[in-house]
Amino acid sequence: MVSLSKTTTEVFKDSKICKLVIISCFISCLIFISSFSSNSLFAQENSDCMECHADPAEVASKVRVDHVTGEVEIVTMVVDEEEYHASAHGGEDFYCIDCHSDLEDSEGEHYPNLQPVDCVTFCHDDPAATFLEGSHASLMQEKGVQLPTCKYCHTGQKSKMNTPRADNLEHRGDTIEKCGGCHEKYYRSYRNNLHGQVTAMGYVGLDIATCVDCHGQHTILNSADPESTLGPEKAKETCGKCHPGAGNSFVKHVAHPAYKDVGYYKSALIALKNIRKDPAEIKSIVKSPQTLLTVLFVAYVGLLVVTFAQFGTHMLLSWLGSILDDRKENKSDHG
Amino acid sequence: MADNTTTLLRFGKFHRLGHTFTIISFFGLVLTGMPLVFKDYAWGQWLYGAMGGYPAAGNIHRLCALLTFVAAFLHFAYLAYESLIKKDRGMFWGPDSLLIQPKDVLHILGDILWFFRLGKRPKFERFIYWEKFEYLSLMWGTLVMAVTGYILWFPVQATRLVPVSVASYIDLPSIALVAHRYEALLAAGFIFSIHFLHTHMLPENMPTDEAMFTGKIDEAHVKHERGAYYERMKEEGQLEGLRVKPSSPMAKFVSRMMGVPLLTIGLLMVGFMLSSVICSLASLFMDLIKDLNIDIFSIFAF
Repeated sequence: MVSLSKTTTEVFKDSKICKLVIISCFISCLIFISSFSSNSLFAQENSDCMECHADPAEVASKVRVDHVTGEVEIVTMVVDEEEYHASAHGGEDFYCIDCHSDLEDSEGEHYPNLQPVDCVTFCHDDPAATFLEGSHASLMQEKGVQLPTCKYCHTGQKSKMNTPRADNLEHRGDTIEKCGGCHEKYYRSYRNNLHGQVTAMGYVGLDIATCVDCHGQHTILNSADPESTLGPEKAKETCGKCHPGAGNSFVKHVAHPAYKDVGYYKSALIALKNIRKDPAEIKSIVKSPQTLLTVLFVAYVGLLVVTFAQFGTHMLLSWLGSILDDRKENKSDHG
Repeated sequence: MADNTTTLLRFGKFHRLGHTFTIISFFGLVLTGMPLVFKDYAWGQWLYGAMGGYPAAGNIHRLCALLTFVAAFLHFAYLAYESLIKKDRGMFWGPDSLLIQPKDVLHILGDILWFFRLGKRPKFERFIYWEKFEYLSLMWGTLVMAVTGYILWFPVQATRLVPVSVASYIDLPSIALVAHRYEALLAAGFIFSIHFLHTHMLPENMPTDEAMFTGKIDEAHVKHERGAYYERMKEEGQLEGLRVKPSSPMAKFVSRMMGVPLLTIGLLMVGFMLSSVICSLASLFMDLIKDLNIDIFSIFAF
């Protein structure tokens, strides 16, 4: 034992060997650290993946099992390089295995149904945290509704893997439908307003408000919440993004007019029925700015019906009358 | 009576110009605005795209609105000139007026009797009562559309006029949108069905009433359609002053070439609109009865 330690100290006294050890330590450290910061040193290039994933014969129909719901579907795994490069993760420094980290170091054919991509841990921890903090997510958890994953909203039009950029028009249009899938009532009333009318035509540019432009993207709070993007403090700023100079009156805008909603009339009737028990309810319905819109709408529908019924009858009768008169004249001419 | 004197002048150049402005602007407004109302229907989306989509269609809409203001301005300038400078009050009261006169009430009652074959058709004056309604509704409609359109064009500035305490009950842009949309439905539906069928596609002036394009009308036609006016002109000796050369075949052809496509577009529009309204009403009906569970077989339980 003593001799072993002696030889060790002797070896270390030899400066050449010492240098060699230190350098080799340093290099292995470097390699170790670099493997943390970037996988590129050992990693497969994207072209390695594209050898198979550009070939429809190889990967056009693959079985995919959803990790959350367990649904089984046949999906295509063909990667359209052009679309991938147009997507949010299509930049120069992105590698397939950055996200599909379970494929690191694998060669050739890999096992099917990879682990779900972890968007949050290393890259997108911020929006994920704000999303979970928002009342939207907490309310869903309270009600036992399955929380959406990132990919539920941030999904490409043709293929899930092409995460769209924020200003991608198809993504903006898709978001309206995704929100509207659950918030049907608000979806319909949004479509009844000017913003929704234009977006319904497929024009969903950044200058027309979709759901997220007013209600926020990840921190979705109830609009009654003063902290929300539509709270009294922040509403002017939110509206002002598109309507510079929006004032205190402007932000009272009824963005979800209910006058075409059958449920609105039903709730008003029920409140009217319960007027003795709960007079506050009907008061709150009447006091809202929806009332005037509804009255105007009903008046206009009445005006339309009366006008067209009256003038339509008039026109038919006068047509009939002049044809009969003509016939009479012709008869008297001949007779 | 010579051949070339059986034609009378009905509309001067000024009024024809005004009508042409109104046609151009109205068609532009309807074709770019109506798709927004019928946004759920494929024809609306197609038409909006064909008119340039967002925001081009909106800009066409605003340009046409400005043209409407020009036409309205010309009209009111004419009214002011005639009444204030020429001191001609006939426009507001009397047989030549476009406003409702006591005689029109008699005409309406007489016409109702005629509908049921209980009497002869009354002899009408220069403007028949339904033309007066059309004129007045055009004036009212233009006013409503202009005011609400301006609110929608400048929502930020418009809401500055409303104090905050009132704004929580009266939301100007929303009100303007409702009024603008349904007034537009009323106006477009009225012009494209009632006005077209009532003035242009009457059995006697199929397919178009060229008087608004050439300005001229057959004497026999006037006599038949507006008997009281014809007799009054004859008595006052103004008939000779109204006589003009009959319009050339070319002018007739050109006015038809203008009128028939416009009529076709308008009737197509009203057809699409009507069918879409029926579809929407049907889906509303289905929505309403969705929650009703009528078990038709329960009758066998008895």
